[in-house]
Amino acid sequence: MSKITNMPVTRRNFLKWTGAASAAAAAGSHAPVLRALAPAKKTGQAKNVELKYSVCDMCLNKCGLIARVEDGIVKKLDPNQKFLKSRGMLCARGNAGIQQLYDPDRLKYPLLRTGKRGEGKWKRISWQEALDYAAEKLNGIAEKYSRCGVLFTPGSDLQSTFVHRFAEVFGSYNVCTHESSCLLSRNRAYLDTFGEVPSADVLYTRYIIVSGANPFEAIVTPDSIDLMTAKKSGCKLIVLDPRYTKTAALADEWYAVKPGTDMAFFLALANVITNEKLYDQKFAKDRISGVDELTEHVKQYTPEWASGECDIPADDIRRIARELAKAAPASMVYPGRRTSDYVNSTQIRRAMAIVNALLGNWDRPGGLTAARKVNLKAVQLPEAPFYDDNPDDRIDAGKANMLFEEEGSFKHMRDGIIAQEPYPLKGWFVYKYNPLQSVANRNKTLEMIDKLEFIVTVDITMSDTAWMSDLVLPAPSYLERLDPASALQGSSACACVVTRDPVVPEMFESKPVFWILKELANRMELGEYFDFDIESYRKEQLSNMPDAPGALEKDGVYYNPGKLYGAYEGKVFRTRSKQIEVYNSRYNDMGVNPMPVYTPPNEVPENRFRMVLGRNAYFTHCTSRNNSLLNELMPENAVWINPASASKLGIKEGDMVDVKSRVGKTSLKATLKKGIRKDTVYMSSGFGVLSKGLSNLAGKGGAMSEILEDFADTLSGNMAMHETFVSISRSAS
Amino acid sequence: MNKRILIKIITLLMVFTFAGAVMAQPDGNKRKGKHLYRQTYKKCHGEDAVPVSPDSKTQAQWIRVFEKKQWDVFGCEETWNKMSEEDLNDILTYLHGHAFDSPSPAKCK
Repeated sequence: MSKITNMPVTRRNFLKWTGAASAAAAAGSHAPVLRALAPAKKTGQAKNVELKYSVCDMCLNKCGLIARVEDGIVKKLDPNQKFLKSRGMLCARGNAGIQQLYDPDRLKYPLLRTGKRGEGKWKRISWQEALDYAAEKLNGIAEKYSRCGVLFTPGSDLQSTFVHRFAEVFGSYNVCTHESSCLLSRNRAYLDTFGEVPSADVLYTRYIIVSGANPFEAIVTPDSIDLMTAKKSGCKLIVLDPRYTKTAALADEWYAVKPGTDMAFFLALANVITNEKLYDQKFAKDRISGVDELTEHVKQYTPEWASGECDIPADDIRRIARELAKAAPASMVYPGRRTSDYVNSTQIRRAMAIVNALLGNWDRPGGLTAARKVNLKAVQLPEAPFYDDNPDDRIDAGKANMLFEEEGSFKHMRDGIIAQEPYPLKGWFVYKYNPLQSVANRNKTLEMIDKLEFIVTVDITMSDTAWMSDLVLPAPSYLERLDPASALQGSSACACVVTRDPVVPEMFESKPVFWILKELANRMELGEYFDFDIESYRKEQLSNMPDAPGALEKDGVYYNPGKLYGAYEGKVFRTRSKQIEVYNSRYNDMGVNPMPVYTPPNEVPENRFRMVLGRNAYFTHCTSRNNSLLNELMPENAVWINPASASKLGIKEGDMVDVKSRVGKTSLKATLKKGIRKDTVYMSSGFGVLSKGLSNLAGKGGAMSEILEDFADTLSGNMAMHETFVSISRSAS
Repeated sequence: MNKRILIKIITLLMVFTFAGAVMAQPDGNKRKGKHLYRQTYKKCHGEDAVPVSPDSKTQAQWIRVFEKKQWDVFGCEETWNKMSEEDLNDILTYLHGHAFDSPSPAKCK
């Protein structure tokens, strides 16, 4: 049950939460929150009820929803049944979006730091003062160092495209997104095998291997919903995970794979499939480059050999390979989403992609499907200026073999900033991004912060990164915003366009990042590059789809008709060979193994454990843990440990323990789980916060980012967050 | 033919082939190249014109366009004929880096 109904919020309490005396001055603008938080009246009906379309922002799936607004207050969020990507549903996390809007902890007005960084001393200032100050500081850094002396980190958000635009116009190449803590190595692997990143047609698959993913908790639409439907239709689900997740619980077979050895399993599958010629030989001849080289290469990787590496019986590996091939092409190795795990994570996913190639499932029902054309128009804006006095490249350039230019690598970027090499970087513009929680090695991020002269954060609440900033600017929640159109891919469900209009007006003094950037541009003589508004931008985006505006107004979503299966008939792949590349010649030219070569992960040292990450269904990264509706479900995190391992250490259920690595230490409760390997431990991220502005989290649980050591995938620069070994001991009372 | 001479000829051929392949890889300033390319294209076709996309050709095709100076791909051949070798190399570096078969970027969507 929600705290809202149990604990009526008094005006006095609310003002206390929102910053005492200074809040009183703006109490009028708090009225919607007070009214929304107050217990519902037992009598009387709302005078004005409106139903408004919007798009969820509680995670990255962007599911369609309908907001019920009563007398100006959002009372409920319902699914948009015409939104097929979520199969007409809205999850519980999506329902909790209402609490993001009416969160008493929201940032309400611009704040300027007055004490030391992290001390929590702030002064309320006007937008005029805040923007003048930010423009002066950013210009100062550009003049003193270079325009590349400012780092821009946009989070995953529909307005983040404008942060990229601002960085380009301002002249900094140093843009780093959330993706380098997430899925870059998966994208790298599939691009370098198929020439594009596919969707998984889970609904029609008959046999699916899920390895390093947990779609029943880490929700991806439509995959999570489709997997349940597919299972009801008889699809066989095989799960490889060192921990008994909810996906493992619903699997036909679960293997507690030794962490970091998944590649051995997949190379052994390839061994059986090629050795026994279980693949579609015509498809292979016409569409795959390097099958002969692969066949020769995987001869060494027998199921018997793999069994010794990954702790999965050889007979099972051989049987699974045969069953998988028999169900092809309606079978797959699920590509997954977050793949920031090992230093060879691209090659691990290449091994998975290669098995998919052998299944011939590309472009076919129940297999992997290409992105469908949505037809959203790229808006032509004035050409950004070029600054001759800038350095040649990004700070993290050359630190990974195949870095994504627009995403970067936070790990390498941070190392460069700490060393101030190859050039000084002194400013940081943060938008809805919180690396102090989401990225490994928090102490290194704090070290990076020490090197910076100016940090401005735009966010909805006081994240840890905002807490360490010099200037904090309040952003509205998604229910208050006008956003540009966005194209979504959803395998058999859809290729569609969504937009977002304000459901209610912006609250407090919050302002969207687009407005902030436009105001900054005007103050920095860059106004001509931001001389547009979102309405006109969106109109231009939709100009190739005359039916779209009407459909968006009527249904909240627009579907562009397009071919899903057979889209590659008569077309070549976007690779060097124009075929699927199980042998990658570009890798070979770069001195990288053209086919995945197995290297065993480092052995877990005695008396230590490998730490692994994973999502649960309640939270998205580190962003929704303070949401009171969701926080009730998990008020703090605990470290999972096998009872046998715990017993050796004298640890009992609920004991406070210290988790230590080479880079940090955190304390939290232990929970004993039979469904985790004896050599592995797990904890949820997003707790153990530094910020004192998150009421539900202060002093709760332990910080994952504090103990994770920072490694990166050598090819993509993606963070490698399963490479840390920890010791665990009972906390001294 | 004497075996030694044959080996020398093959070696020389290999050296030239390899050198050609290395020389063919553009090594200019991709960022400047992008700016120059889009500016040049729009100067020719108007501010609202959408430049020919880098992914409309493969890396090998872009190299061929520049080696053979096939400026009809862009129009305004005169402008392209007047450009310096350095500017052309910058533009080719940009186009080559985003060609159809390049290791092109993707987003978390």
